[in-house]
Amino acid sequence: MPLINQTTPFATATGLAVLLAFAPGAFAKEAPVKDGVSQVQVTLTSDNGGSCVLDSDDAKAGPVTFSVTNKTAASISEMELLSNNRILGEKENLAPGLPTVSFTLTLDGGTYQIYCPGASAELQDFKVTGKANKASGSTQDILAEGVKGYAHYVDGVVDAMVTAVQRLKADIDAGDLEKARTQYAAARPFYERIESDVDGFVLPGFKATDNAGNLDYLVDMRASNLDPAVGWHGFHAIERDLFEKGAITDETKKLAAELQDNVEKLDKLVGTLEYKPEDLANGAAGLLEEVQTGKITGEEEAFSHIDLVDFAGNIEGAQQAFAFLEPGMQKIDADLTKQVNAQFENVLKLLETYRDPNELGGYKRYTAEIKASDANKLSKAIQALQEPLSRIAEKVATAH
Amino acid sequence: MKDDPIKNPHLRLSRRGLLLGAAAGTVGAAVAGTAAQGATGEANADDIVDLAGEYPFYGNAEQAGIRTPPQRYTFYMTFDLTSPLRADLQVLLARWSAAISQLMKGKPVGQIEPSRPDAIGLDTGEALNLSPACLTVTVGLGPNVFTDAYGLAGHRPHLLRELKQLPSDAFRPGLTGGDLSLQACADDPQVAYHAVRDLARIAKVTGAAATRWTVMGFGRASAGKGQSTPRNLLGFKDGTRNIREDADFDRFVWVKDGPGWQHHGTYQVVRKIQMHIEAWDTDRISDQNAVFGRHKVSGAPLTGVHEFDTPDFAKMDVAGNPVMPATCHVRLAAFENNEGLRILRRSYNYTDGINQYGVLDAGLLFISYQSDPAHFETLQTKLGASDRLNEYISHIGSAIFFVPPAPQEGSYIGAQMFADG
Repeated sequence: MPLINQTTPFATATGLAVLLAFAPGAFAKEAPVKDGVSQVQVTLTSDNGGSCVLDSDDAKAGPVTFSVTNKTAASISEMELLSNNRILGEKENLAPGLPTVSFTLTLDGGTYQIYCPGASAELQDFKVTGKANKASGSTQDILAEGVKGYAHYVDGVVDAMVTAVQRLKADIDAGDLEKARTQYAAARPFYERIESDVDGFVLPGFKATDNAGNLDYLVDMRASNLDPAVGWHGFHAIERDLFEKGAITDETKKLAAELQDNVEKLDKLVGTLEYKPEDLANGAAGLLEEVQTGKITGEEEAFSHIDLVDFAGNIEGAQQAFAFLEPGMQKIDADLTKQVNAQFENVLKLLETYRDPNELGGYKRYTAEIKASDANKLSKAIQALQEPLSRIAEKVATAH
Repeated sequence: MKDDPIKNPHLRLSRRGLLLGAAAGTVGAAVAGTAAQGATGEANADDIVDLAGEYPFYGNAEQAGIRTPPQRYTFYMTFDLTSPLRADLQVLLARWSAAISQLMKGKPVGQIEPSRPDAIGLDTGEALNLSPACLTVTVGLGPNVFTDAYGLAGHRPHLLRELKQLPSDAFRPGLTGGDLSLQACADDPQVAYHAVRDLARIAKVTGAAATRWTVMGFGRASAGKGQSTPRNLLGFKDGTRNIREDADFDRFVWVKDGPGWQHHGTYQVVRKIQMHIEAWDTDRISDQNAVFGRHKVSGAPLTGVHEFDTPDFAKMDVAGNPVMPATCHVRLAAFENNEGLRILRRSYNYTDGINQYGVLDAGLLFISYQSDPAHFETLQTKLGASDRLNEYISHIGSAIFFVPPAPQEGSYIGAQMFADG
């Protein structure tokens, strides 16, 4: 019968080494070098409530390989190397019994931290001595380029939305119901691509709690978030007239003029936005939440039922945001990048099956029948994308 | 005893308080009953809930949650494998094993409120400070795990296969099958729920599996050793003649042949059995007793006086009819009438609210463990064909899994399958 609770000799010796390391330089062990690369072994055990133990205290500057083995640490599933709270490298999905995994970084002289969430001592120092040839172009720089590109993309989408809404207004002013319906479906996707970036705008002079000054409310409110004090405005008020009442009235024309005014305001405000890389990640996650809570439920387009058109807009926006983060993410976590791309592919493949060139916006109408039979399938596909994508914000926020 | 909770609760007041039988707060009170129909249901003085109770995940021969005396709640879920990569399944089983060992200690699986603002919490938090509550989480591997796609076909437990079509199967789409199963049982429902919810998130994060179907069990419908027999939603004691002794577990439950890594594994058969509650509730009492072959309150067989009296299948009444009717449930299922065959039942009562016909949607989440799925099929073939109970129930869901033995610390469930690279 195996004696599971017996403390192993290895753990005892390591405990001793940790105590002795407090005598400065007394037993400092430098990492061995193999083919010009320093080798550091990191072993995770359940000792002392969870331990992350390094076999060396420091290394020479230059390439360093960290090999991580989770022997018995059920509470520790990831490990990071930090410099001033920026993540330089990490390994996730660690669990007792899995094979050793490793990552290699080129480190300059200085003090770094090993971070093991779930260990009883979560942070410990790791010193690097000397100077190394630094790689040019940090990940932060790459991400900054991506952010610029995304800002440009958003500006372009909102510009296009202004034009589309102008056309919608023209069709409504002309009293042409058929044309207005088609143009409604053409205009919607622009907003859906970027709605998570713009949901915080408050018009000057209004309190943040007053929907009458909230641009997202004025442009995209619907029955489920109706504020009776402020009333119906924006796209869905027009949707109600075009698709439920089936008539263009003077009220509809007023709504169209107001919508044009508001998207022009949006166009100006969007140009002033400054993004951080994590804003792109959180924005993409926000668009996916929109899909789950508004499109798959059929709540977004309650009268026109073009929810799948909006769905496709949300996905495109999320994918664009991720695409601008991808060059940086490739360096940070190639596996996660691959996983997110694969899940985007799955969602797009699924959406393709709903294409219908004869329908408004090019997708099948999201009828009660389709919702009853397909909502589960659609939701699962989005969930599978949401989970890996939700982990990106933290990584890009702490990139080096 | 390996199965006793680490903090042995017998007749000891814990700081979280005790619940005795069905009467919360009345410690030591035996239910006073007038003996109108023989012995009434007594609350067992040993059958107390200690929310500080804890079972170990590592180190035993078999996984917890099988021989463990049934806890009061279960959250059961099956999963579909979503990755074609064998490495993803391996990581999932290792992550699940690590997480389960934490959960069974009443610990979170990761940070709940990370300090970095953009970080996502790994543990969802609703079980924080709820104590272990005797949680067990049992992992099952379905037939699709052991395929060439994963290079695991050679490791298939040789009796693992889909169940045969059986009489009275009435399966609903989406309530059958599964590639992985999780049975989380605890004396606090929120602890059981949290365990499966957080393990489902780990499955999504690794990309290896997605949720399939799930049932929440809110009351025990099987007795383990030392427990008084609980009642199913038909109001009858369920599990009077259940397997309780170690010798019977060895004989009927644990796998003993095949590769070493499968020894002390077992086969889990799950059936979601819907009950026609309103129809049953308006049935006269003599008919209800005749359906089961037992008295409703005492649990005694119709030929006996006390719950644990051995049924006399040969006894006739004055009219020359068998006292235990020919198609009553107990007669059909009895081991005496099935060449000594027995299976371990570890079922729970469930409800799904009110169905589309406006009647109560509830029943039995039947969970059984046996060393050969054919044992279940033998019994269900008889029951499905002619059990009087069939008038009031419907088998609407079904699945089968192989439950590997428990891992040692430093390893994980099914590790041996991946050992040959």
